[in-house]
Amino acid sequence: MAEKTHGLISTFDTAGALVHAAQMVRDAGYRRWDCITPCPIHGLDKAMGLGRSRVPRFSLVGGITGFCTGMTMIWYMDKFDYALTVGGKPFFSPLYAFPISYELTILFTAFATIGGMFLVNGLPMHYHPVLNYEHIRRGTDDLFFIVIEKADPRYDAANTKALLEKAGGREIVEIES
Amino acid sequence: MNSPGASKALWVGIAGTAVTALGILVSGQTAVATSWLVGFGFWAAMAIGMLMMIVIWHVFDSSWSVALRRQFEHGIAAFPWLALMLLPLILASYFGKRDIVWPWMNPLHPVFSGRTVSTDVLYEKKEAFLNLPLFTAMSIGFFAIWIGLSYRLRKASFTQDVDGDVKWTHRMRFTAAYGIPAVALTLTAAAIYWFKSLEYHWFSTMYGVWYFSDCARGAISLGVIIMLWLYERGDFKGILKRDHLWAIGQLMLTFTVFWAYISYDQYFLIWNANVPEETFWYNIREYGDWWYVSLFLVFGNFLLPFLLLLSYRYKVTHRTIRRIAYLILLVIFVDIAYNILPALKDQNGNPLAFFSIRLVWSITSVIGVGGFCVAAYLRSLPTTKLIPIHDPRIAECLNHDD
Repeated sequence: MAEKTHGLISTFDTAGALVHAAQMVRDAGYRRWDCITPCPIHGLDKAMGLGRSRVPRFSLVGGITGFCTGMTMIWYMDKFDYALTVGGKPFFSPLYAFPISYELTILFTAFATIGGMFLVNGLPMHYHPVLNYEHIRRGTDDLFFIVIEKADPRYDAANTKALLEKAGGREIVEIES
Repeated sequence: MNSPGASKALWVGIAGTAVTALGILVSGQTAVATSWLVGFGFWAAMAIGMLMMIVIWHVFDSSWSVALRRQFEHGIAAFPWLALMLLPLILASYFGKRDIVWPWMNPLHPVFSGRTVSTDVLYEKKEAFLNLPLFTAMSIGFFAIWIGLSYRLRKASFTQDVDGDVKWTHRMRFTAAYGIPAVALTLTAAAIYWFKSLEYHWFSTMYGVWYFSDCARGAISLGVIIMLWLYERGDFKGILKRDHLWAIGQLMLTFTVFWAYISYDQYFLIWNANVPEETFWYNIREYGDWWYVSLFLVFGNFLLPFLLLLSYRYKVTHRTIRRIAYLILLVIFVDIAYNILPALKDQNGNPLAFFSIRLVWSITSVIGVGGFCVAAYLRSLPTTKLIPIHDPRIAECLNHDD
């Protein structure tokens, strides 16, 4: 049983209690833990000590790739592959290539953002140990949970449980992985 | 002048105006009057942008902006002064040199191949719109609408500070609902009369939107500078949060892209259609040093602020966001100068250079008109509470958290 433990889960009745407890867990120095809430809670990311998302970096790379793809594609096609004289204009000019490059910037940014979000979140994830908890469905309805994983270097079944109790959590139980 | 800052600003305004007036001895009245239009256009954009942001925020029931809205309500006190700033140009057109700024006001102004304005078929077609009485009446109308809206919005908001009645909020919403189309239409017509008609052969349906993009972006950048100034003075300590700067920084980014979008569209459609009546406007803006001004607008007005504003950290760091705000005010000045100053031509019909002594008169005009506008703001600032304390959304604004 001990090898198969995922971590400890504790229940909170209000968003305020959860934010307060999250601050205590954060200040205790835990790294691998999470909150489960039925709705977004303003300020919870700060209370959990979370930094800013890394997804925008994927977006930026996607955007630059998209812009360069559009420009080089049109440059190659209109200057070399199938050069046509239209309205006395030069074969290639960044001016008329701009709308397409800009569309591709948006398209590739969207792809990179969604892809980056999946990557950073470890999606798709078909199984998660917290689903073993019998009341977990109420986390989408009217209860708030904090889960501290056993993989956290500070995890210690007794101490962590004491911390969660002190933070006001109730029904603190171990969940199987 | 009850605040020392206001009288100082007023003296700056008088000094800037006086130096600009002395410029007539150096560069002649047409060059100086056209430069004055640049200074006027720059500050009119700020005031119109502030008015536009206020009515937009009301209609969208925006909560993060409530504290800043009060500063903009002080800013739009500048409209009567701006009307006064335009007055000398209109009076000079009546009683002095008729084509002192706008060539079409003088029927004998030469246009091309020996023709004058009065025998130019393109002027004849547009005469019903481009004539001095209508120009004057319209300019009075624009300012009447802007001053009227400002008066209503300021009065409702300031009275609410005292009696806390929520009916004032409803009244401001009502004013804002018809204020948006009213300001949008008047600023479009004003941009056409004051700036686009300098080269009346040319036409672009993007022009009003172009001026609006400068209005909105200028007001927002000025808002950043005002908020940080109040923060450092101590007034906004505990009011200005990181997320306020984030929200306004996102708007700066939005309108940077918006400016690029409509400016590019205007250029691209004209480039693509390649019709001489339209292309000449850009051809003269590629002549001489205007070519470098054009490139500066592409990179300085779009690319650089766009890349800087993508960063979250730059948007919420006081030092960097203020520098970006100053950069945007600088490029808006260049953008307005780019739209106005090439109307000054040499005897061959080529535009006079950008980098010359005339640029000094544009800068002193911005300082001159700006002194009066800043004085109007500073004079209004101590007359009310710092933030609209009885606004229904003020608590949400102070606790704004994205």
